[in-house]
Amino acid sequence: MSLKQYQNELIALAALLIMLFAYMYKHNQVTAHVQEAKIVQGSIEELKEVLALKKIWADKKISKKVESLQTLVPEAKVKWAKKSKKLAANYTKLSANELNKLTTKILNLPVIITLLDVEKTGSNYKVDLKCKW
Amino acid sequence: MGTTKELLLVYPSMERVFLKESVNVMLTPQFYTLKKEALPIKYAYQAKKIAPSLFDGLLEEGSDYEYMVFKEEEQWVFIAYDVDKIVNFLSSKGIESSMVSKIFFTQQVVDKFSAPIALGQKEALVVLDESVVVVPLAALGENESPSLTVDKTFTPQKGVSLQGDMGSFLTKKQAYALAGVLLFFAVLFVAEGSRYDGSEGAEEELEALYESHPTLQSSYTRDEVLNKYRNIDTQERKKRDGIKKLSNMIFKGVTLTHLSMNDSNYKADFTCVSTQVSKKLEELAKKENYKVTKVKNSHNLNIEGTL
Repeated sequence: MSLKQYQNELIALAALLIMLFAYMYKHNQVTAHVQEAKIVQGSIEELKEVLALKKIWADKKISKKVESLQTLVPEAKVKWAKKSKKLAANYTKLSANELNKLTTKILNLPVIITLLDVEKTGSNYKVDLKCKW
Repeated sequence: MGTTKELLLVYPSMERVFLKESVNVMLTPQFYTLKKEALPIKYAYQAKKIAPSLFDGLLEEGSDYEYMVFKEEEQWVFIAYDVDKIVNFLSSKGIESSMVSKIFFTQQVVDKFSAPIALGQKEALVVLDESVVVVPLAALGENESPSLTVDKTFTPQKGVSLQGDMGSFLTKKQAYALAGVLLFFAVLFVAEGSRYDGSEGAEEELEALYESHPTLQSSYTRDEVLNKYRNIDTQERKKRDGIKKLSNMIFKGVTLTHLSMNDSNYKADFTCVSTQVSKKLEELAKKENYKVTKVKNSHNLNIEGTL
């Protein structure tokens, strides 16, 4: 059998092979691009999450914001001990309204609450708070 | 190319042959129709285009003719031939198309006819008016004995390839058309694929973020920071969520008497005014999967949750 006899088929076959290689090239390019895009997108999302979390929990103004817990109720009702990035505060004779304001404020501050103890004594409340940031 | 193979003169009265290797074939005028025209045409492809119209009415109807065109001094020579007819004849003489390298026509070598060429016992090829024709041997004069024989040196430069079409599933035209379409797709795929080489907007965004936060370029640093703050965030959100849920349990008839929360759990003591209120509170607590303990001899409840 002579290959020349099938030269027309060989021409078509060669073209088909070229097309298949071209398709594989395209497919590989697309796959590689999608993979790369996924990695880049993952890195962006991770980075954004880090930045968002740092913005909340590593805010340099937290220390100042925490001061508001001291001024929220009359001075006589607070025993305040703030050292470095830690706070130990004792509140006594708080009304229900004051308690609500205080807890709302505590919950909205980006601090790590290590202890929160609320106790009702008669018609008032006593609160022990320990937190850090 | 052509001169490396044997050249076999083919005519209707020839004997059957047995070939061991492929040959070139030269066809006598019985296998083609000849026409000469002086046309104001420069290129052979242009002449080939008008070839079918020149043979209008001259060829047998129902046959599929192909054409060869070449220039002879000031005239264009047109040769019309029926491939199927030629192939069938060759096959009947033991020459399969796969054994035929190229076919030529005696008119192509008109210049080489220095003497007649014998075609068997009864006929001969001679040149009359610059055309190769078949004549009976008897018509030759005494000084015109057919002394010439066809050999490799008669092989013209331009021939017709039979093998391209014969025994093929595709004709040359179909093959080229198919190849054209496939190559078009190939070019499209390559063009489309190469478009993915360039950097995209996401990479630029990432670069911009790295530039503004160079300390976070290292993935180790990022992971470390992320783990640290993610843990804090999750834990603190749980604490706040727990307190909110407990405060939602305070309704008419329920009083919070004690709440304690540390890093691992939280506990709340509630005073209830009636059994009904106590039951409602218990239901709410159980909905949140809290551990509920009833205080003996009272309607009061102690509720515990873990972080």
